[in-house]
Amino acid sequence: GIPIRTTLDNSTTVQYAGLLHQLTMKARSTVRDIDPQNDLTFLRIRSKKHEIMVAPDKDYLLIVIQNPCE
Amino acid sequence: KSCQTGKISTAENAVQSHTSRDAGVQTDQSKAAVQDFQQEVQVDYASLLSFLQRVEDAVIKELNRNWKSRAFDGFEVNWTDQNETVLCLHTLSYPKAQDQNLQVTSVSWNATGSVVACSYGRLDGGDWSTEKSYVCTWNLDRRGLNPERPDLVVDVPSSVMCLAFHPSQPSVIAGGLFSGELVVWDTSRTEDSVIWRTGMTDDTHTDPVYQVNWLPDSKHRNHSRLLSVSTDGKILVWREARDGRLALAEGFAVVAQQVPRSTQLKKFACGEAAVGVTSLSFSHFDPRVFVVGVEGGYSLKCSTAAETPALHQTGSSVPLRAPAELAFSPHGGPVYSVSCSPFHRNLFLTCGTDGQVHLHSMLQTQPLISLQLSKKYLFCVRWSPVRPLVFAAASGEGNCNKCFCLGDVHLFDFEKSSQKPALSIKQAAGEHPVYCLEFNIKQTRLLAAGDAAGTVKVWQLSSDFTEQGPREMNHLEQLASEITD
Repeated sequence: GIPIRTTLDNSTTVQYAGLLHQLTMKARSTVRDIDPQNDLTFLRIRSKKHEIMVAPDKDYLLIVIQNPCE
Repeated sequence: KSCQTGKISTAENAVQSHTSRDAGVQTDQSKAAVQDFQQEVQVDYASLLSFLQRVEDAVIKELNRNWKSRAFDGFEVNWTDQNETVLCLHTLSYPKAQDQNLQVTSVSWNATGSVVACSYGRLDGGDWSTEKSYVCTWNLDRRGLNPERPDLVVDVPSSVMCLAFHPSQPSVIAGGLFSGELVVWDTSRTEDSVIWRTGMTDDTHTDPVYQVNWLPDSKHRNHSRLLSVSTDGKILVWREARDGRLALAEGFAVVAQQVPRSTQLKKFACGEAAVGVTSLSFSHFDPRVFVVGVEGGYSLKCSTAAETPALHQTGSSVPLRAPAELAFSPHGGPVYSVSCSPFHRNLFLTCGTDGQVHLHSMLQTQPLISLQLSKKYLFCVRWSPVRPLVFAAASGEGNCNKCFCLGDVHLFDFEKSSQKPALSIKQAAGEHPVYCLEFNIKQTRLLAAGDAAGTVKVWQLSSDFTEQGPREMNHLEQLASEITD
């Protein structure tokens, strides 16, 4: 994906955009393979350090990285 | 009814390749290319706006739920096999050097993390020594590694006191000698491996070089400069000149009179006495800031951007400057090692012969924490490259009549305890202090330690020393912010 707006630095943004675009496509095809009537609405990845949230759309992708305060 | 397939015709065929060619591939350093992504993107802002309005509510709802969620509390996943023990993977030595009673003065890992080099010399040599010494390298990834036969041995006419591998060229290594010279070797050359040397000029140090570092050269991306530190008080930066010589590019001299005093530091050598610098560490966050440790027991915060000329100039070709900006509270003995944290811009560790390790913040003169690690001298302290709260210290010698003076490697973990080491490893049986240790940045489980018996032990650490916990950075920030004055 091509980044349009970001609050992070360039290189990190490009990295996140490319990797998460591929992962979102894979997640979407997984959901649709299991049930063709279903579709991906939201993707959340939780890691040791933070949580990455992806809101997908036909043309755009919104990626939010949150540091959950436990 | 029956079904039968028609005859399938088959034929025999064979294929064989009769010529072959060997080809080798090696990646070069990649040039970091960050694209400018604002160039040719045609953005339909109206549809972007409607997209954002559609998803805004859902995303904000999820963000809010995460703040309050307790669903993942205490949930941890183990991806790798948990290794509970610390093992000694290799015990490396060079028998010829051991027969001459030489000690390991310094160890260094190379840029790829597979080669460890050590220098043999004497740390208790006294004023002058003309002993030969050796620099030995072992490639730990090689099959048929013989721990008593190094892959490469370089004979050096004077005692090598410190070593540093080049940060990106895996075969280039620099060493500082007892005579004050610096030599750079290229271990991939089979003939004479010396590629650069300073020689004995007016610029050379007049005391042994105790630490040598590679600095990235801001002007030429591929060339690095060498920095050397010596007890004659000078910190010199060398660049590559013609004929395999290193020429002085810039330099600093630490003079007692120019050390900024604060009210807590009372005793000082007076006059223009040079202050013997024993160790140096650059900040990982600001390339111009570095910390030095001196024989007087205190540490100094310095900057490469300092402008004031040093008072103690002995006719060197480049004017020397006084780098010190702040002096920190002293140890009870000389400081032998300093290390800046790779995770926090203000934290650094110092250790000295009083057996203490001080955790300092660059913002105040008093240490944040003083740990009495042992009653013996501490020769080296290093932060872990992967766990922000862990460091290792090497100890040995000292005047304790009652306990066994065994060389130890102490691993300290602020998460477990802020009073005593999480683990103390006995390097060797017998009374041989451990003089140097280095973490392997590429293979983060390995720690190399060299001792006075002439052996280098490569320790494999357990997984609790190599995997970062989820709250570690917070804990580190908390430690750093306990500033009193």
